[in-house]
Amino acid sequence: MEIKTEQFTELAKKELKNDRQRLFLKLIPPVMRMKREAGFGTLPDAPAAMACGAAIRAEAMARLPELLEEFEKNATANGMKVVWTRDDKEANEFIRNLAKEKGIQYVTKGKSMVTEETALNEVLEEHGIEVWETDLGEFIAQQLHRTPFHIVGPAINVPVEEVRDLFIEKIGLKEPTLDPVQLGYAARLFLRDKFHHVKMGITGVNMAVAETGTIINVENEGNIRFTKASPPIQVSVMSLEKVIPTMKDALHLVRLLCRSCTGQRLSVYVSMDSGPKKKDEIDGPEELYIVIVDNGRSKIYQDVKAREVLRCIRCGACLAGCPVWRQIGGYAYGWAYSGPMGQVLNPVLLGLDKTQELYRASTLCGACKSICPVGIDHPSLFLYYRSKDVLEDPIFKSKDRPWAERQFFRIWSFAASAPWLWNLGVRMARPFINKDARDGIISKTIGPSAGWFRKRDLPSMAGFTFHDRWKKMQNTESRGQKSE
Amino acid sequence: MKNISLFIPCTVDLFLPHIGEATVSLLRRLGMNPVYHQEQTCCGQPALNAGYRQEAKKVAKHFISVFEKDEVIVSPAGSCACMVKDHYPEILENEPDWLRRAEALAPRVYELSQYLVDVLKVEDVGASFDGKVTYHESCHILRGLGVSEQPKKLIQAVKGAQLVPLNGADSCCGFGGEFAINFPDISESMLEDKLENFLASGADLLLLSEPGCLLNIGGYLNRNHPGKKIMHLASFLSTNGREAGYGN
Repeated sequence: MEIKTEQFTELAKKELKNDRQRLFLKLIPPVMRMKREAGFGTLPDAPAAMACGAAIRAEAMARLPELLEEFEKNATANGMKVVWTRDDKEANEFIRNLAKEKGIQYVTKGKSMVTEETALNEVLEEHGIEVWETDLGEFIAQQLHRTPFHIVGPAINVPVEEVRDLFIEKIGLKEPTLDPVQLGYAARLFLRDKFHHVKMGITGVNMAVAETGTIINVENEGNIRFTKASPPIQVSVMSLEKVIPTMKDALHLVRLLCRSCTGQRLSVYVSMDSGPKKKDEIDGPEELYIVIVDNGRSKIYQDVKAREVLRCIRCGACLAGCPVWRQIGGYAYGWAYSGPMGQVLNPVLLGLDKTQELYRASTLCGACKSICPVGIDHPSLFLYYRSKDVLEDPIFKSKDRPWAERQFFRIWSFAASAPWLWNLGVRMARPFINKDARDGIISKTIGPSAGWFRKRDLPSMAGFTFHDRWKKMQNTESRGQKSE
Repeated sequence: MKNISLFIPCTVDLFLPHIGEATVSLLRRLGMNPVYHQEQTCCGQPALNAGYRQEAKKVAKHFISVFEKDEVIVSPAGSCACMVKDHYPEILENEPDWLRRAEALAPRVYELSQYLVDVLKVEDVGASFDGKVTYHESCHILRGLGVSEQPKKLIQAVKGAQLVPLNGADSCCGFGGEFAINFPDISESMLEDKLENFLASGADLLLLSEPGCLLNIGGYLNRNHPGKKIMHLASFLSTNGREAGYGN
């Protein structure tokens, strides 16, 4: 997958011109919000439930190394094979070699964000192994060669006509239809055949429970369950922050995850795997591999503030909650993770130099923070990344700020700490700022602030500032008091 | 008479001074004695938002020195109040002495409507207005300070004013300081959504309590819908909605 995070501004401009998508973005997020609110409304105390979610994830991050070892020990005792991989290359190579070794022609996949991140599909395909995504939305996105538009609904924005044409071309849809049920049925028939003969299934992991060595997957379509139950070999790929201490913690997070994703109290399927098929069992994979992917997370973990992003459980609530995402949708963010989730994750996964526009494209409105079920403070992380640009951070490869901007803030902060200089500065700046003013209004300017004035005016800088007016007001007040 | 220290943000001081005057006259009407430290400049928010934490810290220290002796500090701006209350302790966390001073100052800083309703227990300030108004929930007032009911109570107590709902009232208007300048396409698009909702609300006047949003939404209205008005809550209450136009 080509990483386009550096093109954010251009891509966003393009997305803003897509009228059909804009209409979609006006209609659907309010529905998602309503569903989410209704889902949280079924909890006796939603804020407390969210605070508890935040505490569970905070504990998991504080104890991450220890929990991972505990998980490995218990998962191994359950008969799973735990594989540690340092980066995308190691993870992909392991899976590719395993597939080659077992003579695999094709794999089915359950939706997995970490394999979007590592671009596993491309690697397998390059080596002649077919990959079939089996989540309906992911299946459509894969056939269209697109990144996910939304983490929970990767193709939720694709018009039904486009899906019809795609299915006619790719999966032999015989009778053209715009009925979503019929289209879903066509995909189902097609994928059933794939499931029937599949020898290796690849899934992601929503949670890994340290105390029991169990992995948990949450889904609505049943395709992940097929991917795990049909083939003799199951490979489940997890980024290393997915581990949590106990099953009790897991059940609480499932409550929050389902409600935050789709507003459901529980998704249609929640499957828990604690090892491959045992002697007296009739189904399940014969071999179960857990591929744990680091891919930069150990480095993130070292930074106590940035570590907060590792709490994320990928529910996607922050996407539809974000006023910027609601304007541009998911593609403009240029990689696997979009919305505020992507704005906090991508910079530390890809490097600040490749993502500067992402963490600057926020008004810091805090809508994301307010609905995050695990207490991530996105605006504060944006500010943290922005401060790294200024302080120059080699670890996350910060990108320098313009010289003029640096000088401006140096002088500005000096003046703002010395009132006489500040007042002098105000008097000196006024004619400059007001040079294009007419009747107390500025309607245009040149230079870096020009964008403001394309559709907006600004009052001119006041001839008498509040500072000036206060002196006058005080005089009138004291005169008033004297005459009383 | 109780002294109230005015925290007038630089946007108000330089571009919207009438909001400061309205704040003064409102507080005087309620029997308070507003005082103003001439040494105040800016709270440092633009620097923090741009990533200049050292520079923001320098300005924060100046602010603390100017205000720390005051018992009550009131501002007609939510995001600036948030800067002092939430971000000062954060940026000064490695300087114990300054951190202590920042933490001591934080609880004494109030947004105007918050102070009037929660502390003074005033809802009816004796204002009147004939017409429909609606209220924009500015991000830092709503989510930063948790203030939402207070301004609405003040509006509802205005004789003759009818407060009508605003769809998407809690959605950001697209200001975000440098955001509006660096990402004008996205910002305009957010702003147009806000305007669409305002026009659909049927109100004649959009009220809010945040100077930043006022510059943004007001700037758009002045250019594109000169018949529609926007006003800071302080101006609305102190002038009975008869504040002069947008320019200076």
